[in-house]
Amino acid sequence: MPDMLRHLVPFIRRDARHAQVLLLATLLGYGLLVMHWSAELPRYAVLLGTCLAMQTVAVVVLRMPWSSLKSALITGLGLSLLLHVGSLLTAALAAVIAIGGKCVLRDRGKHIFNPGNLGIVLAILLTGDAWISPGQWGSGALLLVLFGSLATMLLLRVGRVDVALGFLGTFAMLQYTRTVLYLGWGMDVLVHQLMNGSLLLFTFFMITDPKTTPNAPRARLAWSMLVALVAFLLTEKVRIQAAPIWALFLVSASTPLFDRMWKAARFEWSIPLHGTSSTTTPLA
Amino acid sequence: MVDPPARNILNNNTPRMMKLHRNLLPVLVAGSLAQQGLAFCGFYVAKADATLFNDRSEIILVRDGQRTTITMSNDFKGDVRDFAMVVPVPTVLREQDIRVVDRSLFDQLDAYSAPRLVEYYDANPCQRWDYAVMDELDRAPMAGAAMKEVREEQSARSRGVTIEARYSIGEYDILILSAKESEGLKDWLIENGYRIPATANEVLDPYIKDHLKFFVVKVDLERMQDMGFEFLRPIQVSFESDRFMLPIRLGMANSKGEQDMIVYAFTRTGRVECANYRTVDLPTDRHIPLYVKDRFGEFYRDLFKRHYEREGRHIVTLEYAWNVTPSWNGVKCDPCVGPPPLTAQLTQAGVDWVGPNGGANGNVFFTRLHVRYARADFPQDLLFQVTPDQQQFQGRYILTHPAQGDLSCSAGQDYLEDLYYRRKKEVDELATLTGWNTWDDRRYIDEVKGRMTPERRNGLDAPVIPFRRPGGGQGPGSMLWLIGLAALVFGAAVHIAARSRALPG
Repeated sequence: MPDMLRHLVPFIRRDARHAQVLLLATLLGYGLLVMHWSAELPRYAVLLGTCLAMQTVAVVVLRMPWSSLKSALITGLGLSLLLHVGSLLTAALAAVIAIGGKCVLRDRGKHIFNPGNLGIVLAILLTGDAWISPGQWGSGALLLVLFGSLATMLLLRVGRVDVALGFLGTFAMLQYTRTVLYLGWGMDVLVHQLMNGSLLLFTFFMITDPKTTPNAPRARLAWSMLVALVAFLLTEKVRIQAAPIWALFLVSASTPLFDRMWKAARFEWSIPLHGTSSTTTPLA
Repeated sequence: MVDPPARNILNNNTPRMMKLHRNLLPVLVAGSLAQQGLAFCGFYVAKADATLFNDRSEIILVRDGQRTTITMSNDFKGDVRDFAMVVPVPTVLREQDIRVVDRSLFDQLDAYSAPRLVEYYDANPCQRWDYAVMDELDRAPMAGAAMKEVREEQSARSRGVTIEARYSIGEYDILILSAKESEGLKDWLIENGYRIPATANEVLDPYIKDHLKFFVVKVDLERMQDMGFEFLRPIQVSFESDRFMLPIRLGMANSKGEQDMIVYAFTRTGRVECANYRTVDLPTDRHIPLYVKDRFGEFYRDLFKRHYEREGRHIVTLEYAWNVTPSWNGVKCDPCVGPPPLTAQLTQAGVDWVGPNGGANGNVFFTRLHVRYARADFPQDLLFQVTPDQQQFQGRYILTHPAQGDLSCSAGQDYLEDLYYRRKKEVDELATLTGWNTWDDRRYIDEVKGRMTPERRNGLDAPVIPFRRPGGGQGPGSMLWLIGLAALVFGAAVHIAARSRALPG
């Protein structure tokens, strides 16, 4: 065991994506083994396969580093955990949009939309054959333990805790104000709303993508609070299910503005093991 | 047994064909159907209908864009005079938005979509074919209810309650109320003979603040007698709203116990699923021992209970999903427990996009959901969403009758050996599904041995019958703890390891 850890730790520390892949794969495994999602295996295969294939094309044509395949794997896993489709063709389309969008929709060398988010939203809008099941994870305090503990160490590694807390804190405050203070429901209703597995998955694994959040810490906080506000309005006023996904899509379009207003160094994935620390990676 | 419409059965493109065993021959319906040599998989012999569950209600939900039609039937068993119903609705309903429909509509939908038991008959490998017969079960009707009369509007005003509309529809007197605060509404309702639990405020208040109206129903006993109805008929309401939900909290205000609700949902696009609780498939397509046939109701009740507890209780169970578009030529059930809904029934349920001669302006997709809810597990009302998911689903349990006749040929002995192990699996499956103690079921397995030659019999493995406690089992909850804990330990280990690296030396 200690021997395994000796190899595993540097592996995870070398690149935050390693941990992310491990964690997302664990969640998928949990879904398969415990929640009986096994009928969905072909969908996972298509999503992951298409993401990796598209990224390979991008590597060859656009001369991206081969290590970017790790990001594609994360996108594929994220799509697998959130997106449902009627046909496998739709799954392939979502994956193509996700990776394609990353390569095409760029602002000053940084892609604008979270690839998974873009793939999900456009697949739903364009095909009408895709959907998100916000109830698929169920709801419970245990989920918070799971996602929270899994994600915290990852976030500390990439330094996007501010985004997760900014979003979840703001969203929780808004929901608390409306559900408990205004409508007068008991706290158990609020807890049920906030312990939703899909919301937590979104909080810890999608909105926190260091590549598509604003670079400056202050900008990130404002930005994550804006996503929370939009998500809250979509939930309560427009009554859209899985509103955070749509909110992130809408707010992402403004990310370049946040980057222009607050300037800071851009995030890079791979950090040399014994390198100097940078502003965006406190634990590096 | 009602024969399904012929066109459904004749279609060979069964979307979910069952994989037949090497020696399995599906039951053939006598007469004309048998001659067609149909791809008709198994035969329905019993159903686990909604009447199995005591404290239950049944709801038909139709959702088309922003339009929702809800038909409510509940198993009110007391004196009809005591019947009163208060349902939060999003808008002030017009008279034409409210209808009374026939109770048989529910019975038909229930019969069509209930989890089913099917029978197969093995062919004798030493001979050629074998035949079979079929069974049928009956169903029980529902109980009824009654009511009083509605009172003054002045007292309503003084309590901050506004009577937005007042209708007499069928045997019902209906009021649409809006209120300024829950205390006044509660007092007014109690004053006017509606039995509202004392704890209803905590639920009424949020509904009032959320701008919901209250659809309040009592029975006019005289009119009911004049009309000659013995039981209360279901009420149907339609409205336009962006909310697609069922307010279950009010019904739980005075009850700590579990209640069952069956939801029959119709949409144009596909399945309906719960958006704020997990929608879980019922365990289905399981082979179970023959002797379950006479205890199918009990079997399903225990299966459901175990399934619900295993999955962590906060769940909505999918019992059936199928395309029921009248003009669609595919198979509408496999096998059919009851006939698929006809155009007239769909129209009555509120599926208003179906033309008079079955030509639907779009598809009609049917979903049956079963919710067992209790206050502790369901803090929030049920929110639903319509998905494009057209995947079909049914709850089905399979009995297999052994081949008859002389099985002394070598293929026959192979068959018996196969049957012996299959029966072991069936008994094991039964224990897993229901939690029944199957220790005594050894005879069911061992009787196969009697037909085997001594050499074959000696070559068999000893049967190991699992002994299981009823209920319990490893749910997602306990797994979550394990994974969460593992993650914490892992995280801590990574941190400690990282720290020790950072220290010099």
